[in-house]
Amino acid sequence: MTKQEREKAALEATSLGRDAWEHIKRNRMAQIGGVLFITITLMCWIGPWLSSYSLNQQDLAYGAQSPSAQHWFGTDDLGRDLFVRILIGGRISIGVGFAATFIALVIGVIYGSIAGYVGGKVEDLMMRFVDAVYALPFTMIVIILTVTFDKKSIILIFMAIGAVEWLTMARIVRGQTRALRKLNFIDAAKVYGASHFRILIRHILPNCLGPIIVFTTLMIPSVILLESVLSFLGLGVQPPMSSWGVLINEGAKKIDIYPWQLIFPALFFSITLFALNFIGDGLRDALDPKETK
Amino acid sequence: MHRRYFITTLCLSCLLWMTVGCTKKKTNVELGNTTQELYLGIGAEPATLDPHLSTGLTEYSIMMAFLEGLTTLDAETMRVLPGVAKSWDISEDGLLYTFHFDPNACWSNGDRVTPEDFLFSFERILTPLLGAPYAYMLYPMRDAEAFHTGKLTDFSKVGATAIDDHTLQIELEQATPYFLSLLAHNTWFPVHPPTILKHGSMTERISKWTKAGNYVGNGPYLLKKWRLNTEVYAVKNPHFRDIESVNLNGIHFLPIEIDTEERAFRSGHLHITATVPIHRIDWYREHRPETINFATSLGVYYYMLNTSRGPLADPRVRKALAYTINREELTKHVLKAGQQPAYHFTPPNAGGYNAEARFPYDPDLARQLLAEAGFPDGKGFPAFELLYNTSESHRTIAVAIQQMWKKELGINIELHNQEWKAYLSTREAGEFDILRASWFGDYDDPNTFLSLGETNNGNNHTEWSSPEYDALIKQAAVTLDPEARKAIFQKAEAILLDEMPVIPIYFYVTSRLIDDAVQGWYPSILDNHPYQAIKLIDNE
Repeated sequence: MTKQEREKAALEATSLGRDAWEHIKRNRMAQIGGVLFITITLMCWIGPWLSSYSLNQQDLAYGAQSPSAQHWFGTDDLGRDLFVRILIGGRISIGVGFAATFIALVIGVIYGSIAGYVGGKVEDLMMRFVDAVYALPFTMIVIILTVTFDKKSIILIFMAIGAVEWLTMARIVRGQTRALRKLNFIDAAKVYGASHFRILIRHILPNCLGPIIVFTTLMIPSVILLESVLSFLGLGVQPPMSSWGVLINEGAKKIDIYPWQLIFPALFFSITLFALNFIGDGLRDALDPKETK
Repeated sequence: MHRRYFITTLCLSCLLWMTVGCTKKKTNVELGNTTQELYLGIGAEPATLDPHLSTGLTEYSIMMAFLEGLTTLDAETMRVLPGVAKSWDISEDGLLYTFHFDPNACWSNGDRVTPEDFLFSFERILTPLLGAPYAYMLYPMRDAEAFHTGKLTDFSKVGATAIDDHTLQIELEQATPYFLSLLAHNTWFPVHPPTILKHGSMTERISKWTKAGNYVGNGPYLLKKWRLNTEVYAVKNPHFRDIESVNLNGIHFLPIEIDTEERAFRSGHLHITATVPIHRIDWYREHRPETINFATSLGVYYYMLNTSRGPLADPRVRKALAYTINREELTKHVLKAGQQPAYHFTPPNAGGYNAEARFPYDPDLARQLLAEAGFPDGKGFPAFELLYNTSESHRTIAVAIQQMWKKELGINIELHNQEWKAYLSTREAGEFDILRASWFGDYDDPNTFLSLGETNNGNNHTEWSSPEYDALIKQAAVTLDPEARKAIFQKAEAILLDEMPVIPIYFYVTSRLIDDAVQGWYPSILDNHPYQAIKLIDNE
């Protein structure tokens, strides 16, 4: 190994990614979470292909059957296979989770970093706006959105969830940016004549990466939960589509007569939430700069 | 030390247990049984309590407590009983009815109910300005239709006259055998003229007179409290003409959403539910058969099509949709309460009339019809919406039918639901493609169903119109021979279902959960349950 290579290796060893990876490798719960999450995701995408039933294939004569060799998770009231419905519902729930989180991430990061970087009156104004939107109850926003747009679609769910979730992200990023703005290396960049845009992108955001990643992983489960709440209230995914929220809602009404209609979707849902939360916790520990090795 | 803690804890928990035990709140049912107050589920918030503006059975079931027509119906047999009129004479040709008023008939403020009050009410509902959707119920009265359609502007020319202070005469357009039972319907109910005029003009639709405190009625109960989406509370009306016959001291009408209602019933919050969620029916049959009650009703569950919208304007498309619904499977495996699949519009045995099956379940024929209409395999068929009022049962049926149409015809529809009031206004505005609807007979005669297809019928929101059909319904009205009349109805029904502005799905069996303390609630084909007959007997 040449001297240059050694130096490079030493540099990499202390980089954010490598550091975190070392941490994660020692965190058993985060690993289990990761494996569970990947398994469930793969099941959702591959599972329905392995079943001979399709999402909306109904056989009214076989309504509300308990689990059997034909229907592994039983059937719902219209004789639709629950196994397939849970897995395809999972696609929607996980898909909504990631997509809405992404929207919230983009808006929150841009908004928060600008507010924190510019500072002064502008920051006050921007953050008070966030406070104001925070004060609105979530269901109100959603009801207003659904009434305004009438048609309920998945896009609307993204919008509704994105509209509330970016607020916390904006606060976190703004706090980080404020702290970094005062530091010497930013002054140095200014002295070198870097533009504001460049400073934000090259110097501030990379330094906020840790909290952003952690918060994002924790946001995904809460978004999946929100989608379920919306579908539970009848404002989310519309029939005949399924999602975990829809299935749990339907199952909850029949908990004492057809328990399998609640148990299986709830099981998938809670395992996913646990897994994502473990991953998020693991990442937080791993990316926390104050954490000593 | 440890021991002392143990004893203290024990004492505390005992105390806690005792207080909880002592103050355990009595359930509505227990409370109601001791005070003779009925807790009745009505399924949805009533849209209005104005007898001249309402169209729903929910509203009728409440107004029956507050208002009383010239006649009433027997709770058990549905035979006509005296109401405000204690007796009546019918002329030999069946055209002139003379009603003699009960001198005890009073409004809840103590005023006497007079024939003039009825004239005011008839004029009110028939005045075109009020826009009463159900005004056609008064058409059997001479010139009522002319006045309602604006051909006649002088109400005194219409066939209703006050002979004196306690005699009302009604002249009919033609002999109408079911006329006396018609009078028990809310459209024929009187309203208190001074109250109406105090809160606005005669034809004001949105008026404060229906508010608790303002409402003046002549029924066995009076409106004590109306809390939106919470309850309508009725208490005994001390001025009621036959106060002896009223058993219950109060009625709580609770608009609890159907799926929650069953739980409310189980925890003793309700004596009677509005319906039973379909996934619970088997369970009750098995575990508590004495609680669940089924009654074959004169009612049809159907889908109303807006024939002015896109491909739905083509009768072939409408027929294709109708022919692909597998009604046998729906009624047998999904509804489970013994409903009959509907292949005609009028429920069986409506006033002795049995309609013939008018169309098949035939997906092949449906596909062919759809192809002829220009949508082979559903290609190019625009997306459209099915609207239903929010309820688990309606949703289950809609999802099943959605899948049938998708599988057999390749047509995709979206499902949309609204709560009862919003649903009613969307329906009246005609802003729908396909709408779930149901119709219960107002009287035991096919006319109550088939007149719905008439062009000018206020409850026909399909935009469908057929002069030939209208003529047949008019002809049936003037035909006295029962057999000939039935034959005309058959012909009309054939036209209706050949054009298919409505898709019949099944004939109702009403299912309710009824607490065993309730006495005097009889199965009724009109789903009409006069409250005077009801008593609460506490068995414990």
